[in-house]
This record gives sequence, C-alpha cells and structure tokens, in this order.
Amino acid sequence: MRILLFAQVKDAVGAAEFELKIHGEVDAAGVWRHLIVARSELAPFQKTTRLARNGEYADARARFIDADEVALIPPVSGG
Amino acid sequence: MKIEIQITPHPIESGPGLASDFSGVAGAIADFSGAVRDQENGEAITAIEYEAFSPMAENEMRRILESLAETCPCLAARVIHRVGVIPAGEVAIQVVIMARHRDAAFAMLAEFMNRLKQEVPIWKRRALPFNPLLVSPPGATPPAQKRTVSLTEAVAEISSHVTTLQSVPAPLDQAAGRILMETVRATEDQPSHDRSTRDGYAILNNDFSTHFRVVDTLYAADWKPRQLKTGECVRVATGTVLPCENLRVIMQEDIEREGDQIRVGPREAATNIRERGEEMRAGQVVLKAGTRLNAGALALLATVGCTRPQVSPRLKVIHFTTGDELVSPDQKPMPGQIRDSNSILLRGWLRQFPSDLWQHHLPEEFDLAKAVVNEHQSKIQNADVVLISGGASVGDKDFTRALLEFLGFCIVFQRLNLRPGAPTLFGISGVRVAFGLPGNPLAHFVGCHALVAVALAKLTGAPPPAFVHGTLSEAMADAECPRETLWPARCQMTEGKLELAPLRWNSSGDVTCMPEANALIRIPANTAELSVGARVEFLPTNF
Repeated sequence: MRILLFAQVKDAVGAAEFELKIHGEVDAAGVWRHLIVARSELAPFQKTTRLARNGEYADARARFIDADEVALIPPVSGG
Repeated sequence: MKIEIQITPHPIESGPGLASDFSGVAGAIADFSGAVRDQENGEAITAIEYEAFSPMAENEMRRILESLAETCPCLAARVIHRVGVIPAGEVAIQVVIMARHRDAAFAMLAEFMNRLKQEVPIWKRRALPFNPLLVSPPGATPPAQKRTVSLTEAVAEISSHVTTLQSVPAPLDQAAGRILMETVRATEDQPSHDRSTRDGYAILNNDFSTHFRVVDTLYAADWKPRQLKTGECVRVATGTVLPCENLRVIMQEDIEREGDQIRVGPREAATNIRERGEEMRAGQVVLKAGTRLNAGALALLATVGCTRPQVSPRLKVIHFTTGDELVSPDQKPMPGQIRDSNSILLRGWLRQFPSDLWQHHLPEEFDLAKAVVNEHQSKIQNADVVLISGGASVGDKDFTRALLEFLGFCIVFQRLNLRPGAPTLFGISGVRVAFGLPGNPLAHFVGCHALVAVALAKLTGAPPPAFVHGTLSEAMADAECPRETLWPARCQMTEGKLELAPLRWNSSGDVTCMPEANALIRIPANTAELSVGARVEFLPTNF
C-alpha cells in the first residue's frame, strides 16, 4: 500500500510517501493500526487526519487492500 | 454546468475567460479573488507557501461544484488555485461563477468557498516572516561580472580555492566509499610466523643429515616453539606455525619413515615455507592517505587491526532547484512545464560520495527565494557544499549569483568557455563551496563530473578526477565548436585498447544519451573533424 503524506504529517514523518504491507482487507481503523506500527510519529494525527483511498475521501464503510493508494489528509486550509 | 479547474504554481492572471462562451445568456458574473494578506497572527509576513494534493484537490473542487449545481442553477464555474510560495498581495485563488441570475451565482460562490476550506486537500504550509533586510532595493544586485574561464582554468581555480576538510575517525562498517586521510602501517609482520606450505617434516635449513629423529608432531593450530637441533625433525601439516626460524620442510612424499626415524633422499630447492613478514613487515605502509576505501581496502584495514581509521567526513550537501516550470516527476506536466530530473540525477550521482543531501525547491522571485533560504540559514551555514540548479545564466530571473552572494559566497567564476554547461558558476565562503549549474540535464551531468567532482575530491583529500587517453571507434564530423566540448561517449576496452564511441546529443537538454555515457571526450575548441582511431583525451564518469 502506497501511503502519501502532506503538510504537517509529511513534516512529522520526514517523507512524502512510503510503502506499507497490508494483508487481506482492513477498515480505516486497521489502516491506522498498521500506520502507527510502521511510523509511531503518526499516532498524534489519527484523530484529526482523514484517509483518502485512491484519490477520494474514504467513508466509514470503506475497506482497504494492499493495492490501494492511501493519502493522509490533515485539516485543510486552502483558499 | 461547464466547469474548469486548475492548480498552478504560476501567478493567476485575471481575464474574462469564460465570459465569451455565455455572453448574452449570463446575467451575473461573480468573480472572486482571494489574496494573501501581509499579516499572519499579528506578524508581518512576506509570503505564504501553499501545498496541494493536486489530482484529488481538482476532483474535490469539481465534485463540490457539481453537487452545488443541483440547488444553485449556474452556467459555468472556473476555479484557479495557485500553490507554492505566494507573495503577500498576490492572488491565491480565483473563482468565477456565471449564472442567469445573481442569486444563484452568489450562493454558489459563497458555499463553494466554505466547502473548499473544509474539504479540498490544499494547505497553507507556513508563512514566511517579513524581513526588511531581505528586500533588495531596485538595482542593488551588482551587475554580473562576465568572467569566463576555460575548463583547465576552472579546475585549477576550484583546486586552489577549496580547502580539505578535517578528518574524522570512523568505524570500518561506516567507512566504505570515504577517503582515507592518514597513512596506515602494518603493526606486525604478516604472516606473523613462518608457516609450512606442505604436509611433511621440518628440519634445520642447513642440516644436511640423511637420517632424522622425529621429536614432535604439530598440527595446523598448534603453537609450540622449540629450537631444533641437528638430526632432529618435527612432523608438520600445511599451515602449521613452525617451531623456530631457519627451517625447511621436506614433503612427506620425499622421505621414508620407520618408527620415530625418517630417511631423506635428494632435496628439492624450495623450502616449502611461507616466511614471516612475507606479505608485509611491521611498520610498512599498507595504505596511503587519499585512498578511496573500497571493500578490499576495508579488508586490509581489518587485517592490520586498524578499526577506526581517520577518514573524510560525510559531506553535507544542499541542493536547491529553481524554475517555476518544474513539476515533481510523479506529476503530469501542464503546457510549459517539465518534470524535474535534476534532483534525482544529483542524488544518484552523489551516491558515490558518502554524503547527506538536503534538497529544496526555490521560488522564481528573488526576494521570495531569499526569504526561503533565510528560513534555512543554519542548515546552509553548516553545509559543505551548496548546489543551485537553474538560474545560473544572465536572464531576468537568473538570481543564482545574487543568491550565493546573499549567502556569503564570493564568486570565483561565473561562466565557462565550455559546451555543454557554459553558464556554470563557482563560489567559495570559507570552507563552504557553491556551484550554480545550468538547469539542463546534460549540462548538469557534465558539470557534476567535470567540476563539482573536483571540489568534492579536494574537500575529502582524494586525488582529482583525471583525464586519460583513448581512441575513437567512430569518426566525429560534427564536433566543431568555438568552445571546448565535453562530449558524452561510451568507453569500452577492445583488444587491450580503450575505445570511445561518441553518443548522439543535440542540446544540453538531451537526456537520452546519459544512461549509456560512461565517459566525456574532451574536444578542443575549433576542432574540425576527428577520424576513426584518433587519440583523444577523456574523463571516465563511472568511478
């Protein structure tokens, strides 16, 4: 699973993207568990950061597989 | 509803755009621009840097507009959001909505902006604080000196200005690729004792007896010193440390044994001994300062017990790219844009020099670029090498020289009589070294190998990259140029000779020849033609 990072989350991890290995199908909470095991510095962002699956916000029912591209979207501030 | 969405690093130019499509139909054109204010949380600022997850941001904006269109019937919408460093006073977002009646246009505009700020993945990364010292008054940048040097002069200038860094001790597992900065001597003889190279019997070298008494038996790991006497021998195996010096070993095939007695026939000339110190003597130099530590050199250092040699420090390198036309390689360039290949070219090239590289993109406006580098002053002050890609020429937006001077560098030369890569700039500030490299990839490739490598060698105490000789395997009819040329080529060994096949290239923006290139042929200025077999000078580019 390709993980894309932006803004303050990118700064915290020190990388714009990384790879995560996911087996089977997991929900958003499962993705976060894997994320925090791989990069513990992501833990403080879980409450405020949304997940986007393949370029679209993932809703509560979303299921993720290894082939997905998942972007971590911290609170936005455009305009 | 017609929708146009754009995310751009360029300034947003105001213009009617959509108006013509709907003239006469649209009764309301709501045109909103959001600009960067010069204050952020009560502090004066110069600019704000924006970041976007572009493909998703564009889709989200489209999705929001389409969902709003269900309740606000509009004819068209156009949104342009600028990203990167946006100066105070300039427009960050422009939204134009066209509708038959103003109510729908106003409603859509207001609701779109609300939802954009909640849902679209665009971020204000940071505000660049205002610093009056960074704003250059008009005409303050001195006119660029037109100092043009030849390649030979440039290399000499670099070698004479760059200072070699202080060595550091490094454990062997972190020393690969670094330059040894001390002379290493053997601390003991290698091998440390005479050893047998045969299975057989050791006797005194000057004992010409025919019958010997076997006084002991030694195996490979035994260590039993004893002084042999005339008529005595010791049974030994291959590799056994011999019990004393001045022995020879008679192969077991050349004797007859009976009980503890052996009889020796005619002796061969060889002593069958690997002598103490045969490989190296205590005190002997085994590696000289200036040696690049490859796997073999590391093994030799381990053998002599030199586990923390003095070596060159890891180089701290900062690389700035410039040019608003650059987009990240994972993006599809819009018209007028190109993917940035120099960042990865430089990163790949630097792998041969143990180094820590920090890369950053600079905005094209000089004052903004200064504000950005000012944010990173401490990093830049600590760097050994500062490299700037692009902006090295003398165009309106080429600020490399001024930026390096702002960072405290003194410019030694700023133009070479060389193709490709003429607008290359070299500066120095104490032990820090800076290069401005032309943005074209091939010019970058040549500049790294022919010039930056000279500085890195001097910094680390390594011998400079040297030109060697070879012969052309193909004629070169089109090499003539009033400037000296470094021509990319493929070098290979053919029947014991180094042969060079020139590669095709058309401009310094050429990238297709670079994967094949492992040499740069040096062609003097105004060379009319080079025939097959001509002897040429070249710089190997694969270390």
